[in-house]
Amino acid sequence: MNKLLLSFALYLHTSKRYKATKNFIRDILNNSNNPYKKYVDISIIFLIITSVFILIYEVKHSVPEWIDIYDIYFVSLVFSVEYLLRLWVHNDITEPIIKEHRDAQFLGKEFSSFSLLKEGLVEKIKYMFTPSALIDLLAIFPAYRPLRVLRIFVLFRVLKLLRYTKSINQFTEVLSNKKFELLTLLFLLFFVVMTAGIALYVMEEQKNPNIDSLFDALYWALVTISTVGYGDISPVTPEGRSISILVIIAGIAMISFATSVIVSAFSEKLSELKENRIIEQVNKSKSFLLICGYGQMTKMFLSQYGSEYKNYIILENRVERMEQARKDGYDAIHEDASRYETLSKFNTEHCDITVLCLTSDDVENIYITLNAKSISKRIKVIARANDSSMLSKFEHAGVDHVLMPHTVANSMIHTAITQPTMYKAIHAILTGKSVARIDEIRAYECKGIVGMSIEALAFKRSKLLFMGIQRSGTFMFNPRHTELVQSGDILLVMGRKISLDYFKSLYEEGDY
Amino acid sequence: MPDKRILLFGYGNHGKFIAKGLLDDGFEVRVIVSDEKYYTQAIEDGFDTTLKVDVTKDEALLALNPETYSQLVCVMEDEHLNVFLTLSLRSLFKACYILSISDSIHTTKKLQMAGANKVIDMYEVSAHKIHNMLNHPVATQLLEEFVTHANGIGFREYVIPENSFLHALMTDDIDLSEHGVLLVGMIDEELGHHFTFVTAGINHKLDSGDTIVCIGEKEYLDSFELEIQK
Repeated sequence: MNKLLLSFALYLHTSKRYKATKNFIRDILNNSNNPYKKYVDISIIFLIITSVFILIYEVKHSVPEWIDIYDIYFVSLVFSVEYLLRLWVHNDITEPIIKEHRDAQFLGKEFSSFSLLKEGLVEKIKYMFTPSALIDLLAIFPAYRPLRVLRIFVLFRVLKLLRYTKSINQFTEVLSNKKFELLTLLFLLFFVVMTAGIALYVMEEQKNPNIDSLFDALYWALVTISTVGYGDISPVTPEGRSISILVIIAGIAMISFATSVIVSAFSEKLSELKENRIIEQVNKSKSFLLICGYGQMTKMFLSQYGSEYKNYIILENRVERMEQARKDGYDAIHEDASRYETLSKFNTEHCDITVLCLTSDDVENIYITLNAKSISKRIKVIARANDSSMLSKFEHAGVDHVLMPHTVANSMIHTAITQPTMYKAIHAILTGKSVARIDEIRAYECKGIVGMSIEALAFKRSKLLFMGIQRSGTFMFNPRHTELVQSGDILLVMGRKISLDYFKSLYEEGDY
Repeated sequence: MPDKRILLFGYGNHGKFIAKGLLDDGFEVRVIVSDEKYYTQAIEDGFDTTLKVDVTKDEALLALNPETYSQLVCVMEDEHLNVFLTLSLRSLFKACYILSISDSIHTTKKLQMAGANKVIDMYEVSAHKIHNMLNHPVATQLLEEFVTHANGIGFREYVIPENSFLHALMTDDIDLSEHGVLLVGMIDEELGHHFTFVTAGINHKLDSGDTIVCIGEKEYLDSFELEIQK
């Protein structure tokens, strides 16, 4: 048996498909950065809402059989599968068995997989008793129709929403920060209700026909302190009324206290919640920009091109600048981009992230570059450098492009002085003015051109000026007309955007 | 080719680079500074004609005879002083061509109001570059190399001489690739002094006196210059 367990664990451990499937399911169920998770969430929310709606509708109406089948079998089946999958991905049993086996082999000691199996199962049982797992389990129960009382478990389906709706989660999270205050308040409430209830019971049990038991008195105290005041039970003696006065005053004080606790909890967390929402939003997109610093460079970049970039966040570590960015209408958060925790909040696994280090401090920009590259090499970094002696340091840090504003401006001034007639042309090309846009055609994105010769391509027809080919890092200016386009080539052309789009459409659709 | 006498105000981050670049291109540069540190630096770098003057004084500016220079380039480190200098030069010398640099987002408009003929906004050109880097990284890199002639490829302008083989040709019919260069655009003097790109879709007739701009490797640009003289 021991051997059988070990070989089964080894089989699972070496199976790439098993591992990939388990990781995929774990990711899609638990990782909010997974781009497909939202579809799972929406589907489950839909099932919950329809299930609750059917429960309400059924109270006064009869429902068609297919709805019953949907509610009893389909919804419950989906919830059961989800519950089992969560249980499966919660922990890994095979991993510790394999590790223990290797250690045992190394030390030549006896190996038993049962204790590890037991540990793994205990871990799974512990998970089954967590509040969220219990809610998941209870949400499956309404499927059992013979016991109508079980229909009330549909409410647990509503509680399942806690897992799938972020705003409810955030609400409970905010309140949990004020656990001490709220528990104190609850204890005080319990104390006042008990004291007032017992006092009224002692004083009026003989005189008040509505109070038959201590429960009636406690019920009266709770209804009064909450300021609901149904009026079904009311004190009839001056002593009882005196207690009522005290309970009402205590009730008002407690409600005010509870309100202030909740409001202060939200106001303390409001900006954090807002920032988290911005990060979550941007993490859902395929690619986005992280702009570090809100200085003159960022302001100019966004004022010129802000409308062309939908997905970006400004990270600014100075509050007043961050507030200025928000006032100017940009999405900004108060974070220090040089901190590991800041950049690791972003979805580096599934998104194409470009970090623009635009602060005026070269050291800060190098640090941010290093930070980004240490988190993921996939993050592309464009950094601003003011001092040319810093260039090699930026390169060591792994920057993808360095921007030197002084050098850019100086070379423009130089061109304006030495080639005044051409300055306009070069400026138009550099600024990408409509007819002078220099663009690149990537052969792998425009597959129709691969294998074709330069002279056969419709540059003239599209009114594009073909300048050359970038192949394996080398630029071939004005190559021979018979040169064939290869799949990794990047063709450099100049022309209008419509010309470029037209050219691409010719070869994408393959009608040429 | 423009007159090669430049009066350069400032020898800081920008002035130093520009002065050296212009000198390499055969320009005669006179550096004017208002600070002892920059004066020493400029002299050390070989700009012997450098003068240290108080640019806020009109008499000092008049004494420089700016009218005798083709361009006045204002690249003072102090942003306020640069704007004031541009304003003073414009009020004193109406006909001079003034080129100024803007080091701050709000200064560009002030320099234009002060009378600069051309203002180069450091942040604006950098913003364009960031945008290009994000969207066409390869093209941006290559373009930068073309502008600075870093990879041996660059732009050059030619004035079409009398009896050139280009005379009376239509831009749509010209294929200069056999000469190793590509026609980028032209200035048709008959239609005004506007630069027109070949990609604009307008078929121009070339005449002697028109200016064409080509791109190519330096040796081909040189040989093409001789070719159009024939």
